[in-house]
Amino acid sequence: MTEPLLELRGLSGGYPPVSVFRDVDLSVNADEYVGFFGPNGHGKTTLLKTIAGLIDPWDGGIYFAGKRLNAEGTMRARVSHNFNYDLFRKRRINTRDVVDAGLIYVMQGNLLFPEMTVEEILDIAPRAARSRPGVAEMREQIHELFPRLRERWSSKIRYLSGGERQMVSIAAGLLAMPRLLMLDEPTLGLSPKLRIELSNAVRKIRETGVPLIIVDQNVEFLTSLVDRLILFDHGTITREIRAGDMPDHDQLMDMMFGGAH
Amino acid sequence: MAFDTFMFILMSGILLGGLYALMATGLAVVWTTLGVFNFAHGTFVMLGAYIAWQVTQSVAGGFGFMIAVVLSILVMFCLGFVLHFALIKPFERNQNVVLLAVISTLAAASIIENSVLLGWGPRDKQIAPPIGSKIDFFGASINTFDFVILGVALLTLFALAVFLRRTTMGRTLRAAAQNREAAELMGLNVPKLFAITLGISAATAALAGIFVGSLRFISPTFGADPLMKSLIVVILGGVARFTSPIYAAFVVGIAESFSAYFLGLYWSPALLFAMMIAVLLIKPEGLFGHRSKTL
Repeated sequence: MTEPLLELRGLSGGYPPVSVFRDVDLSVNADEYVGFFGPNGHGKTTLLKTIAGLIDPWDGGIYFAGKRLNAEGTMRARVSHNFNYDLFRKRRINTRDVVDAGLIYVMQGNLLFPEMTVEEILDIAPRAARSRPGVAEMREQIHELFPRLRERWSSKIRYLSGGERQMVSIAAGLLAMPRLLMLDEPTLGLSPKLRIELSNAVRKIRETGVPLIIVDQNVEFLTSLVDRLILFDHGTITREIRAGDMPDHDQLMDMMFGGAH
Repeated sequence: MAFDTFMFILMSGILLGGLYALMATGLAVVWTTLGVFNFAHGTFVMLGAYIAWQVTQSVAGGFGFMIAVVLSILVMFCLGFVLHFALIKPFERNQNVVLLAVISTLAAASIIENSVLLGWGPRDKQIAPPIGSKIDFFGASINTFDFVILGVALLTLFALAVFLRRTTMGRTLRAAAQNREAAELMGLNVPKLFAITLGISAATAALAGIFVGSLRFISPTFGADPLMKSLIVVILGGVARFTSPIYAAFVVGIAESFSAYFLGLYWSPALLFAMMIAVLLIKPEGLFGHRSKTL
């Protein structure tokens, strides 16, 4: 058994003082597609943002390729509001360490940089790759994955449609040469046509050999794509389903809500 | 009014506009990137002028004007870079960061101003302009150096615009300005980029300060006027584009020099404030802008 690429051990977090997810244990292997499914507002995005280093984890550990990304120990609670804690309290996880390690997070409903053009963004995106090789090949692949972007090459993000923005986000994430890519609801709020186009692109990312964690509300899309489906409910992982016995939409609803939906 | 008088007033207005554009762009870049107003901007202008003045003095070796300009810009860039970590970074995770930054930059302005007063004394000083000749411009006799100032100011702004649009470094600066979280997820060192922005702003302020110091006298308190004018320009023009405060700077400069001729020197600030209030009432996002702030 090889060592998992990403491992969460007893991870807890949230927006102080509100706890959003508790004791999450998860391991993702280097060749795996993992899907997250769960109701809105139950902490999937917060969990991913914590792994990406945007939010300080409260407790537990995030290990990526054998390296610990967050600080040891439990976060101390804020005891006084009459004090600029930020001056003394260091961040417990650094986004740049996470990116340097090759764990890239593509945000949900991402506006990216509204006043920059597609070309400008894809020019600076490989800076996240640091010394990881293969940026030039990835550029070629991105043109094949998202032919639509070439038409909008010098448009500002502000003028792009939601689907095109999502494509730029994913393209920028891929140009960072990820060792693991986390996509947060890539098909959120898209028209059915664009949703199919984007789903096909996400499917094709598999050919580039990049492992993926993907959060989505579309059951058929998820179950057809991933090796393992993780049900996330009330801030914890409630169930893991392997590729062999993927449920359909109704079965999944039964599992999550006990048939009372 | 004779044509040569008109030309003279217009040219001095355009010169003022160029200086204001240089000052206001520095302020606008910090506002659009860091999201705070830097009330120490006026003292950056003043300190830049003092550093250049000191370098040209015989005590410090009596270097030429060009060396003074380069040294002053370098020192002010470093000061701006360092001050970001002292004035703004400690509060950046606080939700009242805008208000806290007002206080901390005002404090810095006061400290810099009084340090200059302690170090260089209250007496007025002037940087000797490197070119003393005058040229005849449509009947008006205008200092050659004024044209040089205008040219250098516009060239600097053009170079800054090219840097922000065309170079990877400038593009990462704009990325950090437009969406901080997404910039962090791209692995950009956002605090460093913000510090560089404040450094660039301080460097342009220093350049403007040197030019003002070679046209007028410099004293420890002369930073108040550039700060006020930059604020008026930024509010008047808005920050929707890189160029909006530049257009507004020429409007303000020309309005100021004509009102100084027709209304008198004491009434021209009143006119500028009246213009600013009118713009705030009618088009709050600025004359040359829509409701957005970008770089």
